[in-house]
Amino acid sequence: MNLLQVTRSALLTLRTQKLRTFLTLFGMVWGTASVVFLLSWGLGIERMIEAGFGRVGRNVVTVFAGKIGEDFTPAHDRRQLWFTRADVGALAGRLEHADLVLGEARGWYPVTAGQGMLSRDVRGVEPRHMALRGTRMAAGRAISQADLNSRRRVAVLGDGARKRLLGPRGRIGDTIHILGTPYSVIGFFARVGTQLARDFDEVDEQVWIPITTLLATGPRYGTDHEVIDLIALRARDRSEFDALVEEVRAILARRLSVSPGDKEAIIVVSPIQALRNVPLGQIRGLLFILAAATLVIGGIGILNMMLDAVQERSQEIGVRLAVGARRRDVVGQFFLETLVVTAVGGLAGLSLGVASCWALSRLQVPDVVPVPILQPWIVWLALGVMSAVGFASGVVPAWRASRVEPSITLRTE
Amino acid sequence: MSTAVVELACVGKTYASGRVHVEALRGVDLRIAEGELLAIMGPSGSGKTTLMEILGCLLQPTTGEYRFRGRPIHTIPPDGLARLRGEEIGFVFQSFNLLPRLTAAENVELPLGYRGVGRRERRERSLAALGRVGLGGRTRHLPSELSGGERQRVAIARALINRPSFILADEPTGNLDTRTGAEIMELLDGLNAEGTTVVMVTHDPHLGEHAKRCLYIRDGRVHDHPEEGDPR
Repeated sequence: MNLLQVTRSALLTLRTQKLRTFLTLFGMVWGTASVVFLLSWGLGIERMIEAGFGRVGRNVVTVFAGKIGEDFTPAHDRRQLWFTRADVGALAGRLEHADLVLGEARGWYPVTAGQGMLSRDVRGVEPRHMALRGTRMAAGRAISQADLNSRRRVAVLGDGARKRLLGPRGRIGDTIHILGTPYSVIGFFARVGTQLARDFDEVDEQVWIPITTLLATGPRYGTDHEVIDLIALRARDRSEFDALVEEVRAILARRLSVSPGDKEAIIVVSPIQALRNVPLGQIRGLLFILAAATLVIGGIGILNMMLDAVQERSQEIGVRLAVGARRRDVVGQFFLETLVVTAVGGLAGLSLGVASCWALSRLQVPDVVPVPILQPWIVWLALGVMSAVGFASGVVPAWRASRVEPSITLRTE
Repeated sequence: MSTAVVELACVGKTYASGRVHVEALRGVDLRIAEGELLAIMGPSGSGKTTLMEILGCLLQPTTGEYRFRGRPIHTIPPDGLARLRGEEIGFVFQSFNLLPRLTAAENVELPLGYRGVGRRERRERSLAALGRVGLGGRTRHLPSELSGGERQRVAIARALINRPSFILADEPTGNLDTRTGAEIMELLDGLNAEGTTVVMVTHDPHLGEHAKRCLYIRDGRVHDHPEEGDPR
């Protein structure tokens, strides 16, 4: 029995009962396609979530000052803590696990423009903030060091802020008023997209001005210090997050005279932390189990069909034994036939899965809708699971074939 | 006395299906010599097919001993029996038992495949065997595309392919018209003339006339002479 004959025999088994074959192979096709599609889709979900968390700034860690968290003082009596630009200076250059340390001042300020007045998240920034937040210019220029040095009244608008404040006719050079003071619009950011993590408003809705200009608008929190609202750091790597938090707490706690473990005094917020709480591994595992279960059901369909085939072909088994076949020849034949049948359905399903992933990945969808991302390992895994299922479904019919009594079979007609 | 191909000593076969035990053969003693053309005759249900399957080493007797060329077959392992069936015994069945999925030539070369004969030699020998039974022109046909007589010739070609010394034919002409049956018998006669031992199981008296020796089987027992009601 050569492979060609086995293959032809398998295809004939498929051809003799077209409806049964269609239904059986459908299970296998569907199962394999599910493995490919669901795993790719799961990967798409992971990418979407990571991208969504990354839009606040990749590996950004923001630190806020709160109130000393002592049990025996009533909350309203506790002193509000704050950071100054001097604290940022103290951190800069002393952190092993961050490559960027910036102070940011901000507030919800009334902004007046052609469209009317809106309360906006206004950020006082310096040039390096663009690298930290990952913003790109769509038009105009960015805030420069010269703007900071001269405390210029210039503003860069996020994509959403531009639309809301200036409308479709907004241009570079338009004037907006922040807290009643005129600012010249010097640039627009490209759209960042939907954020799964954010501090205050989304980047797209923000208005950026030089931090020096913002601090010059007047005394903040009733002091003359250069009080800032948050310290933004960029971790060198996601894995260094915990170490970074520890060194930041150690330095800031000494400067604020609080305990390093005081989580009410020094508040650390990061998308890295938030992302950790998303059970990506479990999502991936769940999708894999779902897909593999579908494939196993497909395999049971094939097993059933091959058992029928053994029954129908008991005469053939008898003849083969009569002309000198050993038991293991017959077993091997049915086993191989099952593998061929599985391969037919499995490869069809693989193509279907790959094709559907490819088609969907070319669709234009909103950035919160995951699209499947196909990777070679998914195809290999699908092939592996498929082979395992084919193997398992082949064992039972083959075993049954080995037990057929030849003498009985030669009489059955 | 010439050498014995087959020796059965007190062979019995009992089928157990559920709680019912059916005794298909009881105490059969039989000796078949080299070069014989033997007909075993009996009505349906007499145990003919069971005897045939025991002779062909497809079935182990429940009691008694079967020696094939002097070797007790219960001492031969399953793979050895498979080789014995493939190399020494040729089967011809009433219902031809060709594999419907294979062409005439592929059906004929089936026994060679299990002996590990190479592809080219298999094809050559199967074409030669088909030529010998007069089917040289229909080698690529599927059994369903052949007539009854042609199918039986393919089955005989398959039985001959390993040049067996022992041919077992179960109602070889049973499903054929008289003329085709006669042609098939001529083929079997010819083989016997070349020295092959041929055992036919049949209830057709005409076939019995071809045989050099006739045995009669009734209710699982073998007799040398016909009785009332036996086909003659």
